[in-house]
Amino acid sequence: MHTIDEIMKILAEVKPGLSAGPDDELVRTGLLDSVEIMSVVMALAEEFDLEISPLDLKEENFHTANAILALVNRLEA
Amino acid sequence: MAYNSFPYLCIFLPLCWLAWALLPQRYRPVALLGGSLVFYWLMAGTYTVWLLLAAALTWALGLWLGRLQDLQAATTPALDPGARKAAKKSFTALQKSLVAGGSVALLGLLVWLKYLPFLVRTANSLLARLPMGWQIATPTLVQPVGLSFFTLMAISYLVDVRRGTTRPAVHYWQVLLYLSFWPHVVEGPFDRWGQISPALLDPPKPDYRAFTFGVQRILWGMMKKLILADRANMYVKAVFDDWTQYSGAAVVVGTLLYTLQLYAEFSGCMDMVVGAAECFGVPLAENFRQPFFSRSIGEFWRRWHITLGAWLREYLFQPVIVSKPMLRFGKWCNTRFGAALGRSLPVWAGLLLTWLAIGLWHGAGWLYVVYGLYYFFLQWLGQAAEPTLLRLLPRLPQWREHRIYRLWQVARTFVLVNLGMLLFRANGTRAALDMLASLRRPYTDSLLIKLDIRDLWVLAVGALVLLAVDLLHERGVSIRATLAARPLPLRWAVYCGGMLAVMIFGAYGDNYDPAAFIYAQF
Repeated sequence: MHTIDEIMKILAEVKPGLSAGPDDELVRTGLLDSVEIMSVVMALAEEFDLEISPLDLKEENFHTANAILALVNRLEA
Repeated sequence: MAYNSFPYLCIFLPLCWLAWALLPQRYRPVALLGGSLVFYWLMAGTYTVWLLLAAALTWALGLWLGRLQDLQAATTPALDPGARKAAKKSFTALQKSLVAGGSVALLGLLVWLKYLPFLVRTANSLLARLPMGWQIATPTLVQPVGLSFFTLMAISYLVDVRRGTTRPAVHYWQVLLYLSFWPHVVEGPFDRWGQISPALLDPPKPDYRAFTFGVQRILWGMMKKLILADRANMYVKAVFDDWTQYSGAAVVVGTLLYTLQLYAEFSGCMDMVVGAAECFGVPLAENFRQPFFSRSIGEFWRRWHITLGAWLREYLFQPVIVSKPMLRFGKWCNTRFGAALGRSLPVWAGLLLTWLAIGLWHGAGWLYVVYGLYYFFLQWLGQAAEPTLLRLLPRLPQWREHRIYRLWQVARTFVLVNLGMLLFRANGTRAALDMLASLRRPYTDSLLIKLDIRDLWVLAVGALVLLAVDLLHERGVSIRATLAARPLPLRWAVYCGGMLAVMIFGAYGDNYDPAAFIYAQF
C-alpha cells in the first residue's frame, strides 16, 4: 500500500507550485490538464513500475490525489 | 445540399421529421436511415459506395469482436489459472489484430483518397533533386464528403467495442445509420456509438420542447453563418487571396475577421446540426464551449472543436503514451537524462504526434503541418517555461487568481490564436510568412475592402451579440430555457426577429445562395 505523501510528491514534481490538498479537485478546476495528467502517468509507471492501460485513464481516476492513490493501490493489488 | 440551403431547410428536414414523427416508434430509425442515405447520395453520388463499404467492414469487425468477447466469457472461467491466462492472452491478441486490421483498412482508404496526391507531390519534389529526373504521375482522386469524419467515428466504434465500453451493433443498418446520420456526417461532431445509438435505434416520442429548442438552435446557427461568417468572408477572401496588395492594419483586420468568420461559421454549423438532431431526439456531442474565454492554448483546444480533440486524446495521445515502446522510451530517457525528462519526453513525443495529426487532419499540405507544429510549440513552450517562470516570479500563482491577470491571459491566448488563424487561412506557407512580414508595413488605403460601412456595423454589432451570448453561456445561463418560460407572443416575436434578421442582414450571393461551409472540405 502506498501513501498519499508519495502521490503528493509526484504531483509537486510534475507541476511545481501546485497547491492542492489530497481531496481537492484537480481536473475540472484546470489544475491538471491532459498533458500534465500523462506526465503524472509516466511518473507513476516509473516510480511504482505499473502497467497502466488506456482504460485506466479516466477522469475519475485522476480528479484528486486520493483518487490517484486508489488507482495505484488497485493496479498493484 | 448544404445545411443552410433552402432545399435542406424547407424540404428535406421537414419531410424527414414528418416521416420520423408519423411512423410507429419501431420504424422511426428507418426514417433516419432513409433520410441519411438520401442526403449522402445527394452530396456524394456514386462515392456513397465508400461509406457503404466502410460501414460493412466496421459492422463485421465489431460483430466478430463481440463474439470473441462472448466466447471468452463463456469458456475461460472453467479453465485453470494458467490456461485462463494463456487463453486471455490469445483472445486479447486476436482482438487487437482485428482492431488494428480494421483501422489500417479504414485509414488506408482515407490516406488513398485524401492524402495520396499530397504524398505524390512531396515525393516528386524530392525526386526532382535526383539526377535521374523521375516523376510520378499525380493521381486525381475525389474525396467523398465526410470521409475524415466517418473514418474516425468507425475507428472509435471498433476501439470502444474492443475495450468493452460498448456492445457492438447486431445489424449492418445500425452501423450504417451511426456513420451516415446526416446531421454529423459532413462536419461532425465526432459522436460515439455508445452515446447516440440509444436515441438512433430506440427513438423517443416527438417532443414539443425538443422540437422548438432544436428549431431555435438552427435559427441561431443560420444567423451566425449568414449574417457574420458570409459577410466577413468577403473581406477575408479579398485580403488572403490577394495578400501581396495588403499590409499592416488591412492584414490585422483580415485576420480578425477570419477568426470571426471561422468561429461563426463552424459553431453556427454545429448549432444547425445539433439543433436538427435535437428535433429528432438525438443528443449530438457539443463541439464548442466559449473558446475565446480560454486562458491558455491548451484550454482553447479543449473548448474549440472539442470532439476532434477528445477523439485524438482518447484514441491516439493516451494509447501512444501508455504503449510499451513509449514506456520503454521513458525508462531509457530516465536513465540517460534524469526523472524530469524521463517523464516529459515521451509525453512531448505523443503531443507532437497528436498536433501533427490535428494539422494533417485539416488538410493535405505542408501549411497544415506548420499549423500543427505552431500549436505544439506554443503548448510545449508554455509548460517548459513554467518552472523558470515560477523561480523568477514566485508570486505568479497568486497573480493568476487576479481578474486583471486572467484578462491578460485571455487577451494573450486570443492574439496567439489569431496568428494561428492567419497561418491556417493563408494560401501556403510562403504567403503566411509574407503576410506576417507585411504587418510591419503601414497600410494607407481605405480599410473598407469589399465591405461598406453598413457591413462593418453589422459585423461589429453581430460580434458583440455573439460575445454577449457566449458570456451568458459561460455564466451557466440557458437562453433557450429562459426564453421558453416567457409568454408565447414574446417567444414568437424573438423567432420572427431572428428570421427577419437572417433575411435582411444575411450576406447572400446570386439567387440568395449562401457561401459553402469551410469545414465541409475536411
